[in-house]
Amino acid sequence: MLENYFPVLLFIIVGLAVGVAPMVLGRLLGPHRPDSAKLSPYECGFEAFEDARMQFDVRYYLVAILFILFDLEIAFLFPWAVVLKEIGTFGFVSMLVFLALLTVGFIYEWMKGALEWE
Amino acid sequence: MMELLQTLEQTGQNLLGPLWLPLWTLIKIVVIVAPIMGSVAYLTLAERKILGFMQVRPGPNRVGYWGLLQPLADGIKLLLKEIIIPSSANKFLFVAAPVLALMPALAAWAVVPFGDGMELANVNAGLLYILAMTSLGVYGIIIAGWASNSKYAFLGALRSAAQIISYELAMGFALVCVLLAAQSMNLGDIVRGQSHGYGLLGWYFIPLFPMFVVYFIAGVAETNRAPFDLAEDEATIVAGFHTEYSGMGFALFFLAEYANMILIAALSSVMFLGGWLPPINIAPFNMIPGLFWMLGKMSFMLFLFLWFRATFPRYRYDQLMRLGWKVFIPLTLVWLVVVAAWMQTPLWLW
Amino acid sequence: MISFETIVFYLLAALSVFAAVRVITARNPVHAALFLVLAFCGMAGIWLLLEAEFLAMTLILVYVGAVMVLFLFVVMMLDIDLVQLREGFWRWFPFGVALAAVMVFEMVWVLGNNRTAETGTALVKHDADYSNVKELGRLIYTDYVFPFELAAVLLLIAIVAAIALTLRRRKDSKTQNVAQQVAVKRADRIRIVKVPAEKRGE
Repeated sequence: MLENYFPVLLFIIVGLAVGVAPMVLGRLLGPHRPDSAKLSPYECGFEAFEDARMQFDVRYYLVAILFILFDLEIAFLFPWAVVLKEIGTFGFVSMLVFLALLTVGFIYEWMKGALEWE
Repeated sequence: MMELLQTLEQTGQNLLGPLWLPLWTLIKIVVIVAPIMGSVAYLTLAERKILGFMQVRPGPNRVGYWGLLQPLADGIKLLLKEIIIPSSANKFLFVAAPVLALMPALAAWAVVPFGDGMELANVNAGLLYILAMTSLGVYGIIIAGWASNSKYAFLGALRSAAQIISYELAMGFALVCVLLAAQSMNLGDIVRGQSHGYGLLGWYFIPLFPMFVVYFIAGVAETNRAPFDLAEDEATIVAGFHTEYSGMGFALFFLAEYANMILIAALSSVMFLGGWLPPINIAPFNMIPGLFWMLGKMSFMLFLFLWFRATFPRYRYDQLMRLGWKVFIPLTLVWLVVVAAWMQTPLWLW
Repeated sequence: MISFETIVFYLLAALSVFAAVRVITARNPVHAALFLVLAFCGMAGIWLLLEAEFLAMTLILVYVGAVMVLFLFVVMMLDIDLVQLREGFWRWFPFGVALAAVMVFEMVWVLGNNRTAETGTALVKHDADYSNVKELGRLIYTDYVFPFELAAVLLLIAIVAAIALTLRRRKDSKTQNVAQQVAVKRADRIRIVKVPAEKRGE
């Protein structure tokens, strides 16, 4: 089984190399004449006056947390999906219960307005 | 052809011994990566030409005949531009972000089958591997936005990160439906599961049609393409997460976006449109090599990407999130249960 | 001659240990979080070497692709002031040491207690067509169905808790609720009052 993953490992390394090479080439071939105006962060016509890393709407956290929970649900669905024909109706029903519980959560989320963007 | 390859492999084995396997694998990787890079370059030309024709104008036609050398000229221009690293940026991460964006977009190709047995790595958990790789794509964007230390870049990164993770869920649920139908995670087996001798009637887009649509639209959103390209909404946040990038840094983000587009096209062909299988399994059609069918299906899906861009106005952010969470997730969940229940009955023919 | 797998293992192990050390020594919280991502990637590689295909992929998918994204969101946006963060260091130091000691004790106890190397079984090598995922699927949804449903309950609780903790109505929001606007009746907006006419001359 492991020998199947050897090309994958090699591919990941090649993928990194394909990314690094143009950056190095661009640095070598392109000009390099920095000045303070060029190196300042982009702003619409005035100097940047505060740190760009500002506080944010808490809603983004909520999206990220809900994403984790549903991602876990998907992780549980994967092994189930590939063996459904073998585990038959019992497996089907056990997943139905699982999904029903999570659907309750989803409906709660919806009704609470956690999915609204205003 | 096949015999030639076999003799080549045999002689290589004799000549280099244990070193031959890595070298041979490396050659195969180059054979996959080089055409992808070439397609990315020419996809940009195709995009500009097709958008041009849809808007009744010629598109690029100055560099080379019919503009055919335009991608080359663009590439050279970007290569020779200065890589500007803003003084307030976090230098290492700023440079690493484009590489991190490109790497998963390429590495996912390791398990994609181009024809029967024509894949680099025949991995059993292939689909899981692809999902894992695509979930890494968001890092390039987040790191770029944070390392730039610029407001527009930061806002853009945040927006696209939230967008990508929202649509990844719909994508994941759609993939589970394919797994249900195929009973395997191996992409080659998924295609083989679609060959019943009835041609395109055996393909999964028929029983899983809503999932096919959801998967493709989520794919458009995942790659930040129009009409979901809010991350680069020029009117509000300049160029989004890559506002501060120039030269090759910008080019790598561009490459990653297009490589991802081609990947989504390849995956939807493999999972829903029967991969390398001919649409009708009779004489003139099944004589064409599978590779051409695969490439033809991918081209069609890529054309849809460009067609979308020419046709639809950009979404608003709240509409985007509503579509992802309130339409796609319930729809995929319901269809998942429908497919699973359907499989419990003898009416399941696939 | 050491095998190729052993070399890969040591490379991945070195990477994971280095990344894990950097997680606690990096001054910038964002760097620390990114090193944690690297450590997870190294661990996923090691799990893959143990042929735990599904776990390795899920580690990437769930931890790297989801949990760490949340971590990054938090540390990037919280605007953490490093000086302020280091202020309470010595005050909390004894507490941290005590916690670490408990964990070390637990690990020694669990690992050292009759679970030494000779009782462990050798790793079984499987063929190329062996599917770890299918094996798991055959067990989770049948033999281990109760823990599985319990996981659903846990996720449900997590959803409710997440909403309870983070859902806030924005006060400065100016969105209009169209449905509410359309559903308005005349009686909701207008109240007709009869005002007695005033008498003249008083």
